Amino acid sequence: MTALLDVRGLRVSLGRGRARTEILHGADLTVAPGEIVGLIGETGSGKTTLARAVLGLVPPSAGTVAIDGREVSGLRGRELRAFRRGGAVQYVFQDPLRSLDPDRTVADTLVEGLAVRGGRGRAELRAAAEEAARHVSLPPDLLPRYPGELSGGQRQRVAIGRAIAVDPRLLICDEPVSALDASTRITILELLLRLRETRGLGVLLITHDLGSLGGVADRVVVLYHGQVVETGTTEEILLAPRHPYTRLLVTSVPSITDDQPPDPAARRALREQVRALADLPRTSGA
Amino acid sequence: MKAITDALRTRAGAVAAIVLAAVLVLAVTGPFLAPYDALKNSADILQPPSAQHWFGTDYLGRDVLSRVLAGAPASVFTAFEAVAIGLVIGVVPGITSVYLGRAYEWITLRIMDGLIALPFLIFAIAVAALLGNAVHQAMVAVGILLAPSFYRITRAAALSHAGAQYVTAAQLFGASTWRVLRTHVWPKIVPTLVVTTANATASALLIVSSLTFLGIGVVPPEPTWGGIVAGDLGYLAQRPYGPVFPSLFIMATVGALNLLADAIRDAGGDRGRARTLMRGARRVRLT
Amino acid sequence: MSASPDFATAVRPSAGDGAGREPLLSVRGLRVSVADGTEVVHGVDLGVPRGSAAGLVGESGSGKTLTCRAVLGLLPAGVQVTGGQIAFDGAELTALPDAERARLRGTGIAAVFQDPASYLNPSITVGEQLAEVLRVKVGLGRRAARERAVELLHAMGLRRPEHVYTQYPFELSGGMLQRVLLAMAISADPELLIADEATTALDVTVQAEVLELLSELRRDRGLTLIVVSHDLAVVAQTCDTVHVFRDGAVVESGPTRRVLRAPRHPYTRQLIDAHERFGIDRVREQRRSPR
Repeated sequence: MTALLDVRGLRVSLGRGRARTEILHGADLTVAPGEIVGLIGETGSGKTTLARAVLGLVPPSAGTVAIDGREVSGLRGRELRAFRRGGAVQYVFQDPLRSLDPDRTVADTLVEGLAVRGGRGRAELRAAAEEAARHVSLPPDLLPRYPGELSGGQRQRVAIGRAIAVDPRLLICDEPVSALDASTRITILELLLRLRETRGLGVLLITHDLGSLGGVADRVVVLYHGQVVETGTTEEILLAPRHPYTRLLVTSVPSITDDQPPDPAARRALREQVRALADLPRTSGA
Repeated sequence: MKAITDALRTRAGAVAAIVLAAVLVLAVTGPFLAPYDALKNSADILQPPSAQHWFGTDYLGRDVLSRVLAGAPASVFTAFEAVAIGLVIGVVPGITSVYLGRAYEWITLRIMDGLIALPFLIFAIAVAALLGNAVHQAMVAVGILLAPSFYRITRAAALSHAGAQYVTAAQLFGASTWRVLRTHVWPKIVPTLVVTTANATASALLIVSSLTFLGIGVVPPEPTWGGIVAGDLGYLAQRPYGPVFPSLFIMATVGALNLLADAIRDAGGDRGRARTLMRGARRVRLT
Repeated sequence: MSASPDFATAVRPSAGDGAGREPLLSVRGLRVSVADGTEVVHGVDLGVPRGSAAGLVGESGSGKTLTCRAVLGLLPAGVQVTGGQIAFDGAELTALPDAERARLRGTGIAAVFQDPASYLNPSITVGEQLAEVLRVKVGLGRRAARERAVELLHAMGLRRPEHVYTQYPFELSGGMLQRVLLAMAISADPELLIADEATTALDVTVQAEVLELLSELRRDRGLTLIVVSHDLAVVAQTCDTVHVFRDGAVVESGPTRRVLRAPRHPYTRQLIDAHERFGIDRVREQRRSPR
């Protein structure tokens, strides 16, 4: 089976001139249709840069990004726009308030992708907006409202609705629930699970919180200092982590069932080990 | 647009709008309303206000009211002309500087910096000397000098929205730069631009008045508000209140423009809150 | 609106840990209203025994932060306490003049918040800012303040404290800044420390370090802790008692274990569900229960 998303040896450098530094040192990653893959890493690990490179927002310096078997990292200008209008890959931002235009109604926002493609009349777009709202369980009376009038969960629904209105194959979500309250988180995660069921949507779920992936992700990819240090099923990663950083992550996640908090001394030792790893020069000769 | 209608609902905004509407009417109909020929001399020089001459007569015996009315179009429309010129040569590079690459950005920035550094009067006199001392040439000069503030303000507004996440979202749908500008960036710039335009019109009116006061652009005996003040100043001993009448018109127009600008800024300033309150009634708008 | 009688009394002796003696902080029937008269905290009761750790859980707008701010005497402009009592160490706080409240902050009650960088002056080194707190609140001399500041930075687990002393806020990571803020908070030896979403903005591994540090401070210095978080697990891991806030009222409170194992209020049940269905606990549970 061809992977929906196949990232190989992806390297990305950001900045200009002397300030230019390599953020990603050769990352590999796949997402199959209907699969939810958690991409986990701390601030500065390069997880957002990886997403931006997949979306063509930053050019990679090496490596390939294939979507549905088609190499897309080389696309520029008109070709890139045409590919994007196809809508195969969509992105959901962390903060739904900032990712929605405050001056455009929910209806306008939901069908923006279709409007960009063109060829649809007012009535058609209106119907499409209603359908998109239904898919993300937004009450239709919210359509004429503006983002400022919605709750956090409703805004994130609008953002997801906008993304899936163009019928994407792959959805990249950057911390989709970390700005939301606990009860809202559940409904958004349930929504993602449902979309995966009903549409065979592949999802790349980027998060710094390993704890939030438990019931959602099929596989987890751990990114540390610009390198993928471990990949495995969610169960493997959470129950039998191999890499020291993954082990540290897993023991650091607060839990509500652990009667004994993890042993601080063991965690401290692990921390030293991870710190030593971070200070090592890149093994892959960057 | 929302900020503007909101502003007109405030007392200050409404007063300003009424004054400006009156000035506009005057600018169109003034010459026809004038009771006397604005250029015709008479023997009754330096008369105080009376039933025949509401504002009195000047040093050549011309009716001041007629001159103020006849001078309205030259004073007001020339200011508009200057602002229009400034708007075009400021806003277009202001927005495009954000999108058309670093070289273009650098060049436009330096040009605008250069214009800011130019001493205004000397530039206006130089342009008048170069292109001929007529009203349109003078307005081109004023327009060029107004351009940098339009450039800076549009650029700042465009810059702050160019990197917004909803713009990235639109780009990920394959939206062209033009579409992004039209649907996402332009609506954010308009309120600021309206405020700047109102302020700029006020200063343009003052500049036009100063230029005509100095005899640049409109040459006597053609009446303008600035020119009338200049003429009256020579006869302060005989008619100390002389400059008051034309000055009142200048002040009222400039004041109303600034008042309107403030009202719009206040209405647009606290965007989120003011908006949510007023929004209930708005209809669904698609695309 | 007070919570149902079942949960109204928050002061419950919790097991072990030297908790359960007379309450250091006792909040009774606290009501807080905003400028237009709308009541946002509706009669909150909260008892925190000396040396214990109390966890306040709830969503944004549930009143947990306003309750803490009322205890600190740092309510935002226009927001005020409209009813109830706040007793700290036997003294009634709501009646105290502002100057007295200010003196108490730091020496009696201290706090750290979510975004440490915004509480520091970006153009002064963190060491100097810490030393200044020591001079003003503790009355140390210049040299003594500097030495004590370095000691405190070291005690907060910062490596090379002399070097950190000379660094500016922008040179430090979020976790390091939060440690600096903690050093400031405990510099005048307060009895009660309020950590209001203090680890929310940090990476998970750093969050674990800061939570460990909080527990150490409690153990080594006899600090009483109030940990405010939207994350039930953070509170579960650090606190003896949990107080669940919703819509300006405490809907459930009790010893952490009891609340987690036998939640009585549907909202608490929902919070626990979120963890059991989508958290790391789901996978851990699966391992425990035979398939």
